[in-house]
Amino acid sequence: MKVGLSWDLGGDEPAATQWHRVIGEIERGDALGFDSAWVAEGKTGQAGCAQPAVFMTFAARRTKSIHCRALARSVAGEFPVRLAEEITLLDQFSHGRGGVAYAPASGQKIDPLMVHETIEFIRGAWATNEVRYRGKYVRFPTHTPDDAPAGLSYPAWTGEYLPQWEWGAARSTADFLALTPKPVSTHLPVYVAIDDDETLEWAARNGVSPYAGVNLTTAEAIERLARYRAIADSCGRHSYEVEAVLERNVAIDGASDAHTFGGSSHDITCAIRAAAAATRIGHFVWRYRDAAPNDLERFANEVQTRLQA
Amino acid sequence: MEFWTSFAGQFVLRGFPGAVPQNYDTLVATAVEAERLGFDGVVASEHHFEYNRFLPFPLQALGAAAAATSKIRLITGAMLLPLYDPIRAAEAAATVDILSGGRVTLGLGMGYRPMEFDGIGTAKNTRGARLSEQMEIIRLATSQEHFSFQGKHYEYKDQQLSPTPLQRPIDMWFCGGTSRVGAQRAAAGGFDYWLANSDYDRTKEIVDIYLGLAREAGRPADKLRYALFRDVFVGDTLAEARDARDWFLEVYYNEHIRCYGYLMDDKGEPLFNPPFDHPAYVAFVNSLLCGTPDMVVTELKRFEQLGVHSITVPPVQLELFSKKVLPEFRK
Repeated sequence: MKVGLSWDLGGDEPAATQWHRVIGEIERGDALGFDSAWVAEGKTGQAGCAQPAVFMTFAARRTKSIHCRALARSVAGEFPVRLAEEITLLDQFSHGRGGVAYAPASGQKIDPLMVHETIEFIRGAWATNEVRYRGKYVRFPTHTPDDAPAGLSYPAWTGEYLPQWEWGAARSTADFLALTPKPVSTHLPVYVAIDDDETLEWAARNGVSPYAGVNLTTAEAIERLARYRAIADSCGRHSYEVEAVLERNVAIDGASDAHTFGGSSHDITCAIRAAAAATRIGHFVWRYRDAAPNDLERFANEVQTRLQA
Repeated sequence: MEFWTSFAGQFVLRGFPGAVPQNYDTLVATAVEAERLGFDGVVASEHHFEYNRFLPFPLQALGAAAAATSKIRLITGAMLLPLYDPIRAAEAAATVDILSGGRVTLGLGMGYRPMEFDGIGTAKNTRGARLSEQMEIIRLATSQEHFSFQGKHYEYKDQQLSPTPLQRPIDMWFCGGTSRVGAQRAAAGGFDYWLANSDYDRTKEIVDIYLGLAREAGRPADKLRYALFRDVFVGDTLAEARDARDWFLEVYYNEHIRCYGYLMDDKGEPLFNPPFDHPAYVAFVNSLLCGTPDMVVTELKRFEQLGVHSITVPPVQLELFSKKVLPEFRK
């Protein structure tokens, strides 16, 4: 079981203070052996983190081992190519520790198909050389014709090859383009929030890792993660193809509630183990806020240890 | 006069294959080294879909460099703004500005490669007009609590930028080549103007046009700044300096500048892969400054006297440049 930490930046505290404190917490998490750090996209207030991939690139250069992930990343109003490039660069600057979890369509007030097409395009463009994509919302390159195959398609070998620097004025673009650079990771971790039923089913059928966020109650999260697994199993997809994530608040020596695993470290360990047994999650993420000064150390020493033992 | 340097490691040089993570480590190391050597800023550029894995998002690279440095300015030049949504660009700039303690400078250009517009999904033929509007939007978004903007291409009502940068507004330059059109756009918007490689006479001609047009537009010309990309190659002899230049041409410019439509013919049409003896390419090569340290200092002093704010040099001779040239401008 991997364990991670997540943050949702914002509120009244000035960004300059809050952000550097969080960077310090990520550094501590790295030193204590946490597997991942996630910072959520937020676009409210002076300290909202609208560009989590950029934030995490900074964090990546201050850490050695912890995976650095952009959380709740919107696709609405974004260029899909840029979404692919920002995670590529995060992965490159972190030497293969990058990753992203996309926000649910309902939270962005968009058709779930837009999220699905964007993720399919990004993964396809990372995995191959020249590609094109024709969808309802995503078209790459923009001049891709209406009669191109739906989704990803690839150029046929025609026996001719002209490198870019010899294209000249007559062929200054191409019907298929390659995203460059590519990520370090062969299968860069891509997650999607499974708040929406359409996305839950699509992700399960297409091998996209599910992220059950702290906004869901524990009961909802476990039900949705279990449903995801059942659909994936019915499609013949193995649990090792993806990594299911459950995010919760944690209150060490505090009270549990619908979004919080509380109690002793033993209680918290049992709650995580119970959720894992019901859903086959491989990664637990602690939404980190209002924690006591030594809670990170306690979680690392007491909970993380018990999760492995 | 300030001295800025481009980043090494933004792409894989022809003839020097290497892993991209290693290149990006070099990029960060350039910032650290440039800071140590006394340079004032370090500049990241942008291209897409290029086989040599060119850096596609300069602000993100500056985020990485910010984590390893403490005082050097972190600059984009040129960030191809028409390939962005302006608010997303402002958000990214604000993010790095906060993380770096207010060290971000935006050098913003309009781009020229058809495949980049085609691949990302924005119109190339409106890029000039959009760049001007986008820069105004960023200026408003980074200086006001709430802002509104009504343009031909963009419209915002009572919008708020989140997060807000430390610099209000964020430091920003218009990268417009060395052309009358570029000077016109920069002057009309009241933007500081960052010129492309050019010799002293051409630089002075365009600066005079820029400042004149700014006055005509009612802009405070005495407060406007102008900067220059000026590729400088130093050697103990002129021949050594030219060898350094020729190496850089071979591994980079012969292709990068010549093949993708950066250069223009005398009618203003982009040139793709012109012969090496084409006048536009010859003029470009001749605009690169080569010389002994004394020659280079003498030439650069003329730019200083012209009022140039900063000169951006390539990252190929930083140590030598810092020892032999920089001290003459620090006295």
